[in-house]
Amino acid sequence: MTKNEFLSKLAIELKKKNLADADEIITEYEQHFAFKMADGYSEEEIAARLGNPLEIAAQFGNAGAEEKSGGRKAAAITGLFIIDIFAGAFFLLLMAWEVIMAAFSVCSAAIAVCLFGNMRPWSLIPNMPYLPALVFGLSLIALSVLTATGCIYFAAFVRQLMRSYGRFHKNTIAAASGDAVLPSLGIVPRFPPGTYRRIRSVALFSLVLFVTCFIIGMVISMIMSGSFEFWHAWGWFGYCPGN
Amino acid sequence: MNIQYKKGVLELCVLSLLKKHDCYGYEISEYLSKHIDIADGTVYPILRKLRSEGLLTTYMQEESGGPPRKYYSITKLGLEVYEKERAEYLDFARKIEFLLEDDDNDKK
Repeated sequence: MTKNEFLSKLAIELKKKNLADADEIITEYEQHFAFKMADGYSEEEIAARLGNPLEIAAQFGNAGAEEKSGGRKAAAITGLFIIDIFAGAFFLLLMAWEVIMAAFSVCSAAIAVCLFGNMRPWSLIPNMPYLPALVFGLSLIALSVLTATGCIYFAAFVRQLMRSYGRFHKNTIAAASGDAVLPSLGIVPRFPPGTYRRIRSVALFSLVLFVTCFIIGMVISMIMSGSFEFWHAWGWFGYCPGN
Repeated sequence: MNIQYKKGVLELCVLSLLKKHDCYGYEISEYLSKHIDIADGTVYPILRKLRSEGLLTTYMQEESGGPPRKYYSITKLGLEVYEKERAEYLDFARKIEFLLEDDDNDKK
């Protein structure tokens, strides 16, 4: 079979299948002949190695032609819209929690700075000697770091959850309209292994530091005030001994 | 070897090649027929199918002294599908290998 015989047979078969991109396919085979002939093969050899044009044409599926199923798509979009309302509320809730954690972290850090600097803005921070203040400050710094780490992980989690939901959203519409569907995404955030280990060790270290310093601070306060309920001895919460 | 065995994994082989670098159709055809005994013509239907599924995209590139070549490039979706199916295939192949070799040992 010569090049022209092969290509015209292929073209006839492809026309029968009514493919939109038949010309593009033919061009590809033409180029194949051109490359092979440049390598010194004869037209017959190339055609033989390509295979039977009838069989080749049969392998071109009807992938280019798309069928529109408008009804299914509309139903899918309506359903998704309803799910979106609930999912949106859920994501808002998660984000609100993220904001609360972040605020908590910032507040802990701010109180720690006040304790270190021996500042009492608006008398919000109760009176205590400087030594327990230092230890409590350190403990609060650790708590701030701990919650900040929690924030980072939680933010990554929420982000991945939303991406996963977005992918589900996209896929549902794509599936309903007969388009290519992407693989679904997991909901667990993936960090590079080093980052994950670092987050975990920072969280653990700050947790241990927080608990240790908190207990030490309590003990020091009890010793210095000479009372187990040192907060009474130092007149916290508007309560003064002797009143 | 039965052609049906090969067809299923040819797509995977195409994706694995395109993961390394973009290729034009003839390059892919040559690469596959060098390693696997298939008719040269079978590659182009596979490329078109992968493209219509959104796993590949194409672009034209001018070459000195010749018509522009159609290059195939793997998409993000293609990479995801490749990684997933590659793992599935390797796992499957390992199990089959285990079963078949087991059978071989029984005869001895």
